[in-house]
Amino acid sequence: MNGESGFPARAIGRLTEYGPDLWRATLETLYMVALSTFFALLVGFALAVALIITHPRGLRPNRPAYSILDWLVNLGRSFPFTILMISIQPLTRLIVGTSLGNDAAIVALSIAAAPMAARLIEGCFLEVDRGVVEAARSFGAGDMQIILRVLLPEALPALILDVAIIGITLLGYAAMAGTVGGGGLGDFAMKYGYYRFQSDLMLYAVIILVIIVQLMQSVSGFIYKRLR
Amino acid sequence: MISISGLYKYFGGQRVLEDIHMRVAPGEIYGIVGHSGAGKSTLLRCLNGLEPYQDGSVKVTGEEVGDLSPSGLLALRRKMGMIFQTFNLMSRKNVFKNVAFPLEIWKTPKAEVEDRAMELLDLVGLADRRNDRVQNLSGGQKQRVGIARALALRPGILLCDEATSALDPKTTGSILDLLEDINKRLGLTIVIVTHQMEVVKRLCHKMLLLDGGVTMAEGATEDLFLSLPANLRKFIDEEYTLIPNGVNIRLMFPRDISQDAVITTMARELDIGFSIVGGKLERYLDDVFGFLIINVRPELLDRVMDYMREKRLYWQILDADGDSVHDHDESADRIMNRSRR
Repeated sequence: MNGESGFPARAIGRLTEYGPDLWRATLETLYMVALSTFFALLVGFALAVALIITHPRGLRPNRPAYSILDWLVNLGRSFPFTILMISIQPLTRLIVGTSLGNDAAIVALSIAAAPMAARLIEGCFLEVDRGVVEAARSFGAGDMQIILRVLLPEALPALILDVAIIGITLLGYAAMAGTVGGGGLGDFAMKYGYYRFQSDLMLYAVIILVIIVQLMQSVSGFIYKRLR
Repeated sequence: MISISGLYKYFGGQRVLEDIHMRVAPGEIYGIVGHSGAGKSTLLRCLNGLEPYQDGSVKVTGEEVGDLSPSGLLALRRKMGMIFQTFNLMSRKNVFKNVAFPLEIWKTPKAEVEDRAMELLDLVGLADRRNDRVQNLSGGQKQRVGIARALALRPGILLCDEATSALDPKTTGSILDLLEDINKRLGLTIVIVTHQMEVVKRLCHKMLLLDGGVTMAEGATEDLFLSLPANLRKFIDEEYTLIPNGVNIRLMFPRDISQDAVITTMARELDIGFSIVGGKLERYLDDVFGFLIINVRPELLDRVMDYMREKRLYWQILDADGDSVHDHDESADRIMNRSRR
């Protein structure tokens, strides 16, 4: 626009103009990612418990039940996110009362990430030394006690790393939330940067996403080191 | 305390335990010995229901383990502690929390948990390491934590699964001392699974030798070591190259004879010479016992046999492969009498 002035001045000008929008988009992204990571972990944990109980090397091996669960989890992970988001709209409406907006996006994000979370949590549980589980059994711990008081605490450091993986994946998915009228940085980058050819604004959105990813990874790495 | 009869166990179609019979009296230390893959750890896990069995009976304190309800099984396990070759401690809990864990599982009041855990750490000599992470402990210390944890719920029976196999000889000795001490002080019944014969000789009142899931020998440890059935000898795998000429005789030293200088006395009294092929004296429970293989010229055999009969020694004449070809009937009888005692 004002081609006379240099790059820094122009950048500052643009940021003052679009700053509030960018800030709101950042908050929306964080809101969607945080809540959907939480719900994905919740549902994923329940699925992982079912998987670890029925797993051939699990607490109560049950091959047919495990095969069905295993197949369902794989099925859930096969859908491309946008397709899933649109196809579950009736369900979304049932849960949050609308199929549009950030909250609708959270439902879709949670459902999309839950099977992945289940797989990752199952993997962490399987990594726990079977001898430790056997020891807990030897003094009379029940299945639920083993899951909550042996597997979960022993697997916690590895789980923290997986939470970052889930969060970062959802950050990527959340960029597509605009498809159902959600906001966030991805939507901002598409709207201003891609459709209106304001590539500098797209760049700023991307820079913020980069920072969020780096932060999530290093915070989880830090917690992992402290817990181990 | 424990009574097993006609026990069969299968993994899929494969039979891993066959017609096992064993009885463990209260306060006894019982050894289950065999090479790896003999089924001894599986047998141990049938006792506390960690492994199901397909046929026969496993009774622990009068209850048939296979018939217990899920909650009955948990209650049974509460009465049986278990320690492991790989210690199996929780890596993210400190020493104190590991010992306290069984108490917390059984919802013991907090103050009581504190007292009991500290009492146990005192018992195993690790009270000053209570806040240490278990990764920072040596193998012997980890096993001590394992023992403290296994005793937390005041069990009547302690199951040891190769508990000293990952430890060096000196540490093994100190852990065995601790187990012996616990057995004597608390009157705890202990079942030990091991492939280390030293452990059996050092601690076990009775033993069962297992090979391929089949019982090879069972009885009082001392009697078995004195009579030394072929299966047991094969397991001990002591190989002495015998002298081809003359007669090789294995003399066994039970606890009451071992200290006397039997051999030199015999040489002096009979005024004969013989070669010593090999031998071993070992600590057994609180005693020393062992054997000695001597080689005598055939023409002296009668005199030596008369002397041994007279002195009521335990002996076997060995053939060139080291197998017993002639058990002295009288000593065999006496050994049988001892078992019945």
